[in-house]
Amino acid sequence: MIETLLIPLQYDYMLRAIWVSGLVGGVCAFLSCYITLKGWSLMGDALSHAVVPGVAVAYLIGWPFAAGAFLTGLLAAVGMGFVKARTRLREDAVIGVVFTAFFALGIFLISIRPGSVDLKGIIFGNVLAIADGDVVQVLIIAAVTLLVLGLKWRDLLLFCFDPAQARAQGLNVTVLHYTLLTLLSATAVAALQTVGALLVVAMLVTPGATAYLLTDRFGRMIAIAVGLGAGASVAGAYASYFFDGATGGCIVTLQTLLFLLALVFAPKHGLLATRAARREAPAN
Amino acid sequence: MKEATTVPVELTVRDLKVAYPNGHVALHDMSFSLRGGTICGLVGVNGSGKSTLFKAIMGFVKPAQGAVRIAGLDLGAALRRNLVAYVPQAEEVDWSFPVSVWDVVLMGRYGYMNFMRMPRAEDRRIAEESLRRVGMLAFRDRQIGELSGGQRKRVFLARALAQRSRVILLDEPFTGVDVKTETTIIELLRALRTEGHLILVSTHNLGSVPEFCDQVVLINRTVLQAGATAEVFTQENLVQAFGGVLRHFHFDQSTVQKHDGKAVTLLTDDERPLVFGKGGHLEYSQRKGKEDVLEQRAEEEDDR
Repeated sequence: MIETLLIPLQYDYMLRAIWVSGLVGGVCAFLSCYITLKGWSLMGDALSHAVVPGVAVAYLIGWPFAAGAFLTGLLAAVGMGFVKARTRLREDAVIGVVFTAFFALGIFLISIRPGSVDLKGIIFGNVLAIADGDVVQVLIIAAVTLLVLGLKWRDLLLFCFDPAQARAQGLNVTVLHYTLLTLLSATAVAALQTVGALLVVAMLVTPGATAYLLTDRFGRMIAIAVGLGAGASVAGAYASYFFDGATGGCIVTLQTLLFLLALVFAPKHGLLATRAARREAPAN
Repeated sequence: MKEATTVPVELTVRDLKVAYPNGHVALHDMSFSLRGGTICGLVGVNGSGKSTLFKAIMGFVKPAQGAVRIAGLDLGAALRRNLVAYVPQAEEVDWSFPVSVWDVVLMGRYGYMNFMRMPRAEDRRIAEESLRRVGMLAFRDRQIGELSGGQRKRVFLARALAQRSRVILLDEPFTGVDVKTETTIIELLRALRTEGHLILVSTHNLGSVPEFCDQVVLINRTVLQAGATAEVFTQENLVQAFGGVLRHFHFDQSTVQKHDGKAVTLLTDDERPLVFGKGGHLEYSQRKGKEDVLEQRAEEEDDR
């Protein structure tokens, strides 16, 4: 029994997939606390799709994929900001138009040069076959993101909670806005490797949403989210060996299960707790 | 960053014009000046530009013309020195945010903290003192959404206190607040005035203005009148500021009769007043059509 369970750990590619997934899951989860509270979930989804043409072009011309992805991600973010500021369109419409445009362009670019880029790898992720260079890129992104969040988490918290107050106290809100946007693009690129473009948004939203149901304190929310995100990613990557299934699908399904558990059983904000509270309410 | 000094602070708005990108001119030719040690009511109808003026004083909107200066400094420098604090309206805050009362008040100290915003003992002491002052220290570990409307207001007032700002802006502080909290807030504002703060309160609640404001700026896109409350808060000026928007209850046209004397009770939530005569009977604002009521009451009270 134990021998069977240890089989995946005998393979270098499995070990690597497990720790890379865990790292990416943890970093994404940290950021997801801000994304969910700021109401940027849709933005996360958009950016994760908008990086696809960048990845395609980077592969075609031999750049590191992160550079290209990061560039188109930011371009999409700026594009959305521009269209929103200059038109009367609502934000969700702007996001919908811009990110699908980028995603379509990416698919088109890849389809005209079949073979040179792995479309399936981009869309669904392929952490089991991740190249050394890509691991280095993920490591750099994770290190920079953790450093920025570690140093500036309080400023970003005030920016999400009360941007007017942040501004009134002399914080540079524009810089904070773009910092968060840049981190979002960067982690979307890292997560692309693990779970693929389609599921990146889950890594950037689900852990934060789960933790939000479990606590009323921001510090604890971060700890819970990172724990759940990293844990689910490690466990998902490991379990995918036995199911012989897609790593990304496995990780996100696991995260969703944890979310459902929190949704029902969370001590204060869960469905059972709120129902009990509602039943008690008329008594007094 | 240094703590604000005790030199009387001055707020000067000069030739201010604010236009929004769609071309709408929210404020024009606006000039007034206030000195520390005052509670000034900013009074005007909805849409008269009260919020826009606050935004201009906070540096959120760029004036198309003119400028706001605080303590002789341009706005950016004044904000960096924590000279201005803002108490937002309840609907501007996300109450489900996972932060506690203590977190919110400590955020008021960010401007004094280091790069990583690590609170020092001094920051904690001031935050604690600010919470005690608004009577909310016992609630420090509550999540902000678990508070009542009045308690929420007081927490944000505590944050402004923790900022140690000389200028405090309050946006409609008495909306959705119980009478007890209103009294607490007014007492606190009076104490702050004595300490030399400059307090600017936007309100459309006219009745509360003479209660606690010593100065008034009446606005409608521009300054209509500014000065001491007794001089500015006249019927003529208010009619000019509010036009047909004010609700009137003319006693001489109403069903109030001689027998009611001084026993008239006037209830208002700043909408139409509800008036009760002697013995608590309902009074109507127009005599016309209520002749039978007048007749009956006159008979009962025997005044003809």
